Amino acid sequence: MPEKLERSAADFWDLLQKNNVPFLNKESLSQSPSAPAHVTEPLGVHGTTVIAVKFRDGVLNVADRRATASNYIMYEEAEKILSLDDETLIAIAGSYAAASEAVRFLRHSFKYYARSQMQEMSLEGKLSEVSRVLRQSVPGAMQGVGGFIPIVSAYDAKKKEGRIFFYDILGARFESREFGSAGSGSERIRGSFEYIVRTKGLFREMKLEEALRESLLLLDIAASLDTATGGLSSALPIVRTVTSDGVIDIPEKELEKIRKELTRER
Amino acid sequence: MAYTPYSWQQTLQQKADYVEDRLRQGSPVVGISCEEGILLLTVRRTQRKIFEVYDKLAFSGLGQQSDLESVRQVLVDFTHSEGFQRSTEDVSIQRVVGLAISPVLKRAFSDPSRIPLVLRGIFAQVEDSPSDDLFYTLNFDGEFMLLHEHAIIAGTEGARLQIEKMLTELKNPSVDDAFKAALFAWAAGRWYIKHSQENENKPSSEADQKKILAEELENTNVEAALLERHTHRERKFHLLSKEEMARYMPKL
Repeated sequence: MPEKLERSAADFWDLLQKNNVPFLNKESLSQSPSAPAHVTEPLGVHGTTVIAVKFRDGVLNVADRRATASNYIMYEEAEKILSLDDETLIAIAGSYAAASEAVRFLRHSFKYYARSQMQEMSLEGKLSEVSRVLRQSVPGAMQGVGGFIPIVSAYDAKKKEGRIFFYDILGARFESREFGSAGSGSERIRGSFEYIVRTKGLFREMKLEEALRESLLLLDIAASLDTATGGLSSALPIVRTVTSDGVIDIPEKELEKIRKELTRER
Repeated sequence: MAYTPYSWQQTLQQKADYVEDRLRQGSPVVGISCEEGILLLTVRRTQRKIFEVYDKLAFSGLGQQSDLESVRQVLVDFTHSEGFQRSTEDVSIQRVVGLAISPVLKRAFSDPSRIPLVLRGIFAQVEDSPSDDLFYTLNFDGEFMLLHEHAIIAGTEGARLQIEKMLTELKNPSVDDAFKAALFAWAAGRWYIKHSQENENKPSSEADQKKILAEELENTNVEAALLERHTHRERKFHLLSKEEMARYMPKL
């Protein structure tokens, strides 16, 4: 509860520090007595394939729903595509706990900026915030806990197009022209994206239905080659788009229809 | 030599008079719950007066801009800190008004060494149906009131009552009807502040309201925002653009 009216926080990081709210405290991570010096296997829930492709009106994100810890399937309905705001999606691969916390922070950070400064944070600003959060997670990643890799999809209202950005674990950012994927299953299908572009045309020129079909097929292929990725035979994948109309979930009926077609074709 | 003991009652009265005097000419703010959401409307010169506070919350006020700005920042800080520590569902208008801001205003008003804040505030929270929408009005001394269907803040109690009379018959309006009703109600309140003394507190006619709107809008702008009920966007607040307002503006 505020005691008096005073200068507001410079940004959301500042606000959390002022209110003594712990978030990604690297000191507490390194001093934790339970943190092992070397971790050969990552702790927590991991394993996935997340896919982002451009289409005519924006960006499509598809992700499986399996969450694994080592060789155990922990959960089959994890949500790995989350909205950061009404123009930005993030698809996460890696430590689910760290990623969820980071996403929670970023969602509030973007909204806090827009409301306190009365202007929307620029796309560049949002992307830099994601980098900042990743850098804060590095100590945890080095210890084998808390590392994650995001793919950020955004609708750029100035350029009137969808854009895809992927990061490395240290927060370096790269923009992709057509597609991006991350997670344990992504390497298995990396060449397939290029094959589709060369044989069927650019993703960014496809209608949503076509891009969706190709993406679900790619996810199913990844699942057949990676045990940590759930395919179309388990829970329906999460599918979201970001366009000029904002973030929209693709209805399950539509996904079910495509799933039946693809599994029939096998 | 006469000894005059310190009178805290007199101090509070002087503070209240100080603030009321400065609020008298303030532009009223009207909030109406309609089918599409909650509409907040006022008329202002240069500075924004209707603000987004959180996903489903909006704030507006009349008074000194610097005090409005201070309160706005506190609201944004509180809601985001609470929303992050707990969840967005735990950020409610009742907590924001009752816990975050009312005690601060009360302390500022009661403390003899502090200058009171010159403001009167209105808060709105949109829900799934108009019957569940919530309004709060907040006075400079920390006193707040829960309202439904509509809420008004104005520079004087007389102006507020005039606006209230214009809205009592309004039931389940569309945003179009709510906009027109809010605008004419604002005009009635404004007319009352300007002309009530010479007209023996008589209410304004529709012609009076149109006339004062035409006069005022030469140098000022209508500002209106909608907390949208049916949008799929997380942020329900939508500041109406000039083009959008032009669709709702009545012919004057």
